[in-house]
Amino acid sequence: MGGKRKKGESEGMEGDNDSKNNNKKMKQKSEILPSSVKNKEKRSAVHAKLKHQKKVEKRKKLKARDAAEKRALELGEEPAPKQIPRTIENTREADETVCMPDDEELFAGNDADEFSSILKRDRTPKILITTCRFNSTRGPSFISELLSVIPNAHYNKRGTYDLKKIVEYANNKEFTSIIVVHTNRREPDALLIIGLPDGPTAHFKLSSLVLRKDIKNHGNPTSHMPELVLNNFTTRLGHRIGRLIQSLFPQDPNFRGRRVVTFHNQRDFIFFRHHRYVFETKESKQSDSKGKKAKDAKGESIAKEKVVARLQECGPRFTLKLVSLQHGTFDTKGGEYEWVHKPEMDTSRRRFFL
Amino acid sequence: MPRTTAVECPGCPPFRALTFDALGLIKGIEARGKEGGVPKVVERWGDPDASKCVLAASIDDRKTDPLLAVARKSGRVSNLHFSSPVLVVPGQIEVEVLNPLNGELSVTVSIVNSGSARPEDDAIVGLHLFRRQRLELTSRSCTLLTCTTKGNASIRSVEMTDSPADSGALKTWSVCASGNISCSQVDGSESYAIFGGKGVEVNMWDLDKCTKIWTGKPPPKNSLGIFTPTWFTSATFLSKDDHRKVVAGTNSHQVRLYDVSAQRRPVISFDFRETSIKAVTEDLDGHTIYIGNGSGDLASVDIRTGKLLGCFLGKCSGSIRSIARHPELPVIASCGCVCMHILHFGKLFFAGMALQLASQLVLFLGLDSYLRIWDIGTRQLLSSVFLKQHLTKVVFDTNFTEGISRRVRECGVGGANNVMVLEVKHSAADSTLHEAQSIGEVQSADETEKLPTKRKKSSKEDRGSRKKASKVKDGSKKLKSKKRSKSLENEFADDA
Repeated sequence: MGGKRKKGESEGMEGDNDSKNNNKKMKQKSEILPSSVKNKEKRSAVHAKLKHQKKVEKRKKLKARDAAEKRALELGEEPAPKQIPRTIENTREADETVCMPDDEELFAGNDADEFSSILKRDRTPKILITTCRFNSTRGPSFISELLSVIPNAHYNKRGTYDLKKIVEYANNKEFTSIIVVHTNRREPDALLIIGLPDGPTAHFKLSSLVLRKDIKNHGNPTSHMPELVLNNFTTRLGHRIGRLIQSLFPQDPNFRGRRVVTFHNQRDFIFFRHHRYVFETKESKQSDSKGKKAKDAKGESIAKEKVVARLQECGPRFTLKLVSLQHGTFDTKGGEYEWVHKPEMDTSRRRFFL
Repeated sequence: MPRTTAVECPGCPPFRALTFDALGLIKGIEARGKEGGVPKVVERWGDPDASKCVLAASIDDRKTDPLLAVARKSGRVSNLHFSSPVLVVPGQIEVEVLNPLNGELSVTVSIVNSGSARPEDDAIVGLHLFRRQRLELTSRSCTLLTCTTKGNASIRSVEMTDSPADSGALKTWSVCASGNISCSQVDGSESYAIFGGKGVEVNMWDLDKCTKIWTGKPPPKNSLGIFTPTWFTSATFLSKDDHRKVVAGTNSHQVRLYDVSAQRRPVISFDFRETSIKAVTEDLDGHTIYIGNGSGDLASVDIRTGKLLGCFLGKCSGSIRSIARHPELPVIASCGCVCMHILHFGKLFFAGMALQLASQLVLFLGLDSYLRIWDIGTRQLLSSVFLKQHLTKVVFDTNFTEGISRRVRECGVGGANNVMVLEVKHSAADSTLHEAQSIGEVQSADETEKLPTKRKKSSKEDRGSRKKASKVKDGSKKLKSKKRSKSLENEFADDA
């Protein structure tokens, strides 16, 4: 085996075409699947060899591509277009519910939906945050951080009230949404967002929660109105969820606060992040170069104008996954679901709903 | 390996259905082609306007001069002559209200609420367009039964004249003193109606005399002494000819069969899944019913025994609002948020199809904005159409052949707002229709010989293999979903 490989390699040095042909032949000859070898030592040896071969080939390919690109640049030609890796998202299954920008029914539907009065600034959002009946440890600290993220949010103790009663109460007090943080074993694990006065109700699974104090080099948010970033909400359902989230925040961000709240949807998981950003003019490097080389003034002035954006995370961080969206306010018994996740819908890894 | 979902949709036999949605749009959906037609939205009437949300609809799909009645949120019932889509545009209906001179074939009726103030509080929940009385009367008028949430029922006849609607209510009565009506249904002979709702037991009325002839009685307290409050969400008559058997679905996920001639308490009552029943529809055979619930499960049940025949699995993720059974084809349609009226097929063509197909079509609409079409025999999803809005109702238009519909559309496009012109066109269309049918006879004879045999084969095979598979699957799926919903309940036990 070893001898054969050497032969193949030496031939590979001769020329591209030859080596390809030879490789093919080689493969046909030395196609011993590791799984067909019964001796474990031999099997692992064969496996390791195969792996090494693949690695070498890959490296070669990369080198050749880089070289070709460099050559093209030197000759002033267009380099070959960069290949886009195939990911689960960009090979997503075609979905007819994805919203198109020229869909007049979509906009008419949006104008008529439950959130339009808030998003058109007819009403200012006022949020009631409450918990499940038992709440301790990470629950309260998560809520205190939510209160600092969402402006005009109020925390009320849950007590032993029914959620339906709380919805009634919040309607009377003119709240626009209710957030219920559900904890299980002292760990927040579900989030319920109820739009008021007439729905909808979204139930999310909450996972990988990291509180502010556990984030390294975290910043402390100011009380400015945050900017909101909603990424990748593409389908009808996604739009609806996006609008539900949007209606939690005031629609007039204060850009002086440089505070941004992000809901990023990727493969149906919604990632929450909270940042402060700053635009810095990089001067330290220029001063270095000044001191060392004292270059001509033109280069310096150009370099000075260079502005770099930096982010500082404020926390908390968490991930949401939609479990169900219910028409109307919270009603588990008689409610109508607009969307429920059912196991029979999981037909493919490449099928997404948001 | 990534699993793929090449959803094999076998396509469905040609049909035509109308769906109504929350933005007040009426969409016509047609499947063309003899074999495996893919249903498409072919017409859209109306402009999106949330205040015109369709609450109820009723169709009289006669061969000639079919009529469609639509109740909108603004508290008006508009009557559409739907072979002439020109008249269906809501904008024009509003124009009619303003300008009484061009209220032609379509009529708008404003329902004046006696007592309660705003129409939002007293929305229309039931609407029925009478077929029987229309035959007797002149073709230019029709009779409607409407029922509102507060229980104000009325029968009114509407003159479809050039003058604006003078909606003289023939009879008005109150169905219930308290509670909210949420379902109403008129039987096949159109002389009896049932009503039911939140806090209102199922009750039956004689429409000729306007008297209540029967009221249901709630089942006794259970062994723990707990009484579940009455809340009916859907009701239907079990068969066309018999007004005495009534099936009703409740909010506490129970389906009940009442026999008016026997007793006041339900004859059979069984539970279905864990969310409230939202739609119940009867089959033609008089003992099968289709039930749909709030979390998107659709099943057929033999009501004689209360046994589940099978579920319709098709990734339906939203509440089922309306189920329609095709009168001839073995198809049902359902909508999460959609309703459909299924239209008839051309007779000749259809006869061929019917011989070959033992199965039937069901349509259902759901809150997930899909219209789905199923085969009754195999319980296979034939096709689904995404309709963008929350749907409210679906009806079949049973007088449908490809030729006719095309002609109707042409005449609709060409038709001016003038009654005269339209009528001329109608008669022209009629004569051409006859021609087309006689021509079609020859053609369809050939076609039915060739094509449906193919269909027969495939459907037979399908059915054979599927029945077995579906039986096994249904069992396991049911178990699973039960588990899941239970765990869900547990999760929210704290919250509720």
